[in-house]
Amino acid sequence: MTVYSEELFKRVFTVYGHNFDTAGETSTEIKSILKGLEIDSDIIRRALVVAFEAEMNVVMYANIGTVSFVITDEAIDIEVADEGPGIPDIEQAMQEGFSTASDEMREKGFGFGMGLPNIKKNSDVLKIESDVGKGTKLLARIRLDSNA
Amino acid sequence: MREITHAFKIDRDKCRGKLACMGRCPTQALRVKDGKAEVISELCIDCGNCLKACPSGAISATTHSLKAVWKNKYKVAVPSPVLFSQFPDGISSAQIIEGLKSIGFDAVYILSVENALVNKAIREFVAQWKGPFPLIPPYCPVIVRLIQVAYPGMIGQLLPIEVQRELAGREAKRKYAKMLGISTDEVAAIHVTPCQAKSISIVEPAEGAKSYLDGGIGISDVYNAILTYAQSSKESESKIPEKDIFFSAEMFQGVLRGQRRNLHGFHYIPLTGLRNVIHVFDDVEKGKMRLVDFLECYACWGGCTNGNLTVDNFYVARSKLHRLVTELPEKSPVIEAEVEKRYSSQDFFLKAPLKPRSIKGDMGNLKERIKRIKEAEAILTTLPGLNCGLCGAPSCKALANDIASGEAKKTDCIFFSKDRLDRLRSIYLTNKK
Ligand SMILES: Nc1ncnc2c1ncn2[C@@H]1O[C@H](COP(=O)(O)OP(=O)(O)O)[C@@H](O)[C@H]1O
Ligand SMILES: [Mg+2]
Repeated sequence: MTVYSEELFKRVFTVYGHNFDTAGETSTEIKSILKGLEIDSDIIRRALVVAFEAEMNVVMYANIGTVSFVITDEAIDIEVADEGPGIPDIEQAMQEGFSTASDEMREKGFGFGMGLPNIKKNSDVLKIESDVGKGTKLLARIRLDSNA
Repeated sequence: MREITHAFKIDRDKCRGKLACMGRCPTQALRVKDGKAEVISELCIDCGNCLKACPSGAISATTHSLKAVWKNKYKVAVPSPVLFSQFPDGISSAQIIEGLKSIGFDAVYILSVENALVNKAIREFVAQWKGPFPLIPPYCPVIVRLIQVAYPGMIGQLLPIEVQRELAGREAKRKYAKMLGISTDEVAAIHVTPCQAKSISIVEPAEGAKSYLDGGIGISDVYNAILTYAQSSKESESKIPEKDIFFSAEMFQGVLRGQRRNLHGFHYIPLTGLRNVIHVFDDVEKGKMRLVDFLECYACWGGCTNGNLTVDNFYVARSKLHRLVTELPEKSPVIEAEVEKRYSSQDFFLKAPLKPRSIKGDMGNLKERIKRIKEAEAILTTLPGLNCGLCGAPSCKALANDIASGEAKKTDCIFFSKDRLDRLRSIYLTNKK
């Protein structure tokens, strides 16, 4: 038997690739919603790190993407799907320090290869699927009853 | 919920509802109802922006009577290092200390050792800390409250090491109680503070525990008395060398340079001014500044020497601090010996863990809370988005939230109520024909 958790809140944001001016706005909005709900502060912190890193990967590597932010009675689900180059070797991308970021991005303070590892560290469930040449889909779940 | 004591209060009679405070409040803690400003206590972080913004002189610092404190058998002043930077050239530190005694203090406790102790504790703590980074020290009460209210996710980044002034209060009570053979309760330790926020942190500590200090008195409150005393005081006092009072430069390093030198070898960033701090915190909370070990933040631009209860010009005061530091040895065997003795036997951690401040009290279960934010979002789409403030909330978004939680009505927006406009006309345009 499968028990489906009830979707209580959903919001979808569009994130534009290569646009550093508005980068981070989606995760700021997600934080503001979670804060308004008085969700446990540590869960907010984790959700914010996950959302920000995933959002930034779209900005840095993809052309366009959507962040769908869902709250169920059990968890916060952050699903990020983009149209972009995709990740040829996910296992390698998950390693701390691995990065294909350009020097220009590094100058902006990104590209230390800690994004995906930090997403992993701060979520309870993480799934990444990628089609090289087409895009990447990432689903991170943070359980509302979890303690980091 | 128990009412939180705050650093500033609004005089309703003087308030003319000019909205300036509301726009300057970093946590959107102010509303203007019926032409009078009101504070949402849970959101106020005691920064004092409202006081500076108010064009009507309606906001003032709260005073806490020290009457009860003065009744104590023995009263010890624990001055902030900033005090010694405030007086004109020619007035020595010894005269400042005697000036404090002339007001009624029985003794003056200098916190050189506590500075050295805290420095050591910080260095060791930072070296073994595994994250999250950056660590943020809790020395500025406004910064602590800002995190508790607006950046709850960063609460784990607050350095859990006690503030110098608190440790000095604890030690002063111990020392004089022992010396006089009385109980520590009979010794009152009073901080001579450069800012209102520190006074409030004694009355209402952010961690909810009881302060070691018994009260705070502003530098500006004792300034004239000290000055008058010093100008008529004995020649001999002015001859006591600074190094016999402070022993080492460590006394002033903190207010002058923060932890820069102490944390040599770590990635350290000092940050002052609430607006700058907020700007950087927006990045920190997204995990963007993980490579920084230590972010030392103060709400006042320039740090404590620019506190709202200081008297002298910030730049002049800084130059005096620089001079004091150059006159003092880097380290002193007296301080080192004290540190050696106390470091292993005393506790330097905060009295209780810091927690986020609960803002709205009981808001119902998750479903109810979500229903409310959905309502707020729906309301927001119908509002003009001008953030004019005439409804009495700092932004349309704040009004939408207030409406959804039953604190305001849609007709508070002038676009939806002619009565509201008439009402505002009667409040703001009376006597202006
Ligand atoms: N959405 C994405 N599309 C394409 N490549 C990606 C995406 N996200 C991550 N990557 C690849 O995985 C690498 C590691 O990502 P991450 O851990 O976030 O570190 P960083 O972004 O600092 O390089 C990136 O350098 C990039 O090559
Ligand atoms: Mg990344």
